[in-house]
Amino acid sequence: MPAALELTHVTKRFDGHVAVRDLSLTVPAGAVYGLLGPNGAGKTTTIRMLLNVIEPDEGEIRVLGTSNSTPGVIDRVGYLPEERGLYKKMQVRRVLRFLAELKGVPGKQADKRIDEWLDRFGLITPERDWGDAKVDELSRGMQQKVQFIGTLLHDPELVLLDEPFSGLDPINAQALKDTVLDLRARGRTVIFSTHLMDNAERLCDSVCIIAKGQKVLDGEVTAVRDAHSGRSVALGFLVHPPQAVVEVLRDRALVLRSDDSNRSAEVELAPGADAQELLRRLIEAGAKLERFELIRSSLHQIFLETVGANGVEPGVIGDE
Amino acid sequence: MSRRPAGPMQKFWAVFRREYLERIQSRWYIFATVAGPVFFGSVITVPQILTRKAHPSADVSHIVILDATNTGLGARVAKVLNGGLLGDTLSAVVRPVVSAGLTSAQDAATAEIVNHQWTGYLVIDSAAMAGAEVYYAGRNASSVQDMNRLTAAVRRGILAQRLEAVGLDPQRIRALTDVRSEINADRITDQGRGGSAELSTIFAYLVAFTLYTMIVLYGNVILRAVVDEKSSRVAEVVVSSVSPDTLLAGKVFGVSSVAVTQVLLWVVMSAVVYKTRGPLLHLFNLDIPAIPFPTISGLSILALIAFWVLGFLCYAALFAGMGAIVTNQEDATQAALPVTMLVVLAVVLVVPALLDPNSTLARGASWFPFTAPIIMPVRMSVTQVSWYEVVSALLGVAIGCGVSVWIAARLYRVGLLMYGKRPSLRELGRWIRQAS
Repeated sequence: MPAALELTHVTKRFDGHVAVRDLSLTVPAGAVYGLLGPNGAGKTTTIRMLLNVIEPDEGEIRVLGTSNSTPGVIDRVGYLPEERGLYKKMQVRRVLRFLAELKGVPGKQADKRIDEWLDRFGLITPERDWGDAKVDELSRGMQQKVQFIGTLLHDPELVLLDEPFSGLDPINAQALKDTVLDLRARGRTVIFSTHLMDNAERLCDSVCIIAKGQKVLDGEVTAVRDAHSGRSVALGFLVHPPQAVVEVLRDRALVLRSDDSNRSAEVELAPGADAQELLRRLIEAGAKLERFELIRSSLHQIFLETVGANGVEPGVIGDE
Repeated sequence: MSRRPAGPMQKFWAVFRREYLERIQSRWYIFATVAGPVFFGSVITVPQILTRKAHPSADVSHIVILDATNTGLGARVAKVLNGGLLGDTLSAVVRPVVSAGLTSAQDAATAEIVNHQWTGYLVIDSAAMAGAEVYYAGRNASSVQDMNRLTAAVRRGILAQRLEAVGLDPQRIRALTDVRSEINADRITDQGRGGSAELSTIFAYLVAFTLYTMIVLYGNVILRAVVDEKSSRVAEVVVSSVSPDTLLAGKVFGVSSVAVTQVLLWVVMSAVVYKTRGPLLHLFNLDIPAIPFPTISGLSILALIAFWVLGFLCYAALFAGMGAIVTNQEDATQAALPVTMLVVLAVVLVVPALLDPNSTLARGASWFPFTAPIIMPVRMSVTQVSWYEVVSALLGVAIGCGVSVWIAARLYRVGLLMYGKRPSLRELGRWIRQAS
């Protein structure tokens, strides 16, 4: 099975600044893939290049096994942009039909699918069929649902979701997560860009972190976490630790950083130091341990570590 | 799910259908289509009906004639004036005055006119009998029609007076001087008589202003549609499914077809009204003679349509391009100003082109691609334009149209996903160069 998406040394420049620099990545078919990065990292530019809306200056992009400029291949892709909007004065069904027609779905088939989706997202109720309403009569949450439907109506093989969780209420966010998992179960490939690590960690099989237009790391989520784990240890003491134990935690040859509060502490091992060595030294110093646990880093921490090292302005990560 | 491969043509039709169907089903469109001819019709006919009604009773007859000739000329003029269409109840009053008392009589009459007793006063003295100028002062002094009527009445009075002086029988004088001729002018072209000159002018105006109205009206519709698509961010989704060129084409042709539909409906409605005008006129108690249409050859009509369509497309594309470079409606009007100025320039040149259709200015304007669609049809309606001039002007418009579409497509490609401040001219230049 060919990769759903392959970028090879892709570069895009705008007016002297480089938006995406020498980016290579592979998204296996059937995976849920996260494109992570702070705002301005080049995620949207990358997505627009995938969709053949803008052309890369260098490099090659292959979508669903063929060049993304092959006629018809983008019709097999569904796209939910970060900035969302619909024709406000149009009837919901007509908007959806229009979006389906643009992807080459014949009108009759589209109508049937539209009804199924409206029903599935609760937009057809015994009181009211919202499909007949104009878009601007709908609540914001409903409009978001209509937008998802528009993205998925032509049953795309590859789905691109750009910051899909921004501006979603918790109910729609859950509906989106369910939809993503459902797509995965049906063998579709989902790529989404986000700066919300929690969602990425829970949903993605693989991730790629980019910053300043460059890839920082990529790989399967478990592998990425394993590679960045084992450097932190959580400690729990039965009684308040004696001075000797505190001295051990202050040994910079062993502990890079420690964050202790009364009877517990979280320490980051110094480069080259070994967790077992720390355990031995603590017990020698007379610590009565209740807990000694190697912590697996969360994507959030990995993100902060890796992207922080690349010099991103503080405060851009995680804001909505 | 089965899917037929959607080529640019299918996508073009999808965009076209959306633009066309959504617009012609809107309440405003239906209202404007029905109300348009009623509005234009009333603009033309109501003043006519009003003047017809006003004619016999008021203005011209309701005056004071200061007669310093001591010959009864004043009475004669009054009689001519009173012979209005319906036999006036109001009549001109004749006041014999001596030359010395003329100034004070004028002052008195002026005061009475200020007090709304009369519309105006006419001074006839011995110089008038000799054929010199006659003086009139009144509220309706600027009305060409009234002054023409007065002049005719004075001339008839003087003529009758002179005939009587040579001893002609009063009965015969009345019969001889009762002439109510009016000029009915026809235009002659290489093909022979080309119908009424006045009608040609009206027709020219109609052609020019319909196109002008349509360009401004629907140009702004396209402008707003593009800005709306951009500001509501629908463009984000749409350009991932359809190329900007196809989107631009679908939009421009969709909206243009809406305009064409409207004009066609207007033409059909006018034709129906024209066919059934007899009973309609009867309804309003009016008796207007049949209006002959100006004779236009089939080829000229084809040329007119070509100018109309190309001119419209040319402007529509420019408006769309301008829409793509801005983010909100407020900026849109400003951005479209240069384009609007081009249309206005064409309209400003309509009157000079009508007055002197073969002047250098008119010829020049019918070659310049942005004024030609309006000026050339005007010239073609009022004068004989050689076929090579028409063909080369059409070629010019076609090239202008091509250039407009090319520029618009480039602005569209780059601008559609650009937000924020309006780009400077230099930035626009770069957009046009860079878009590939």
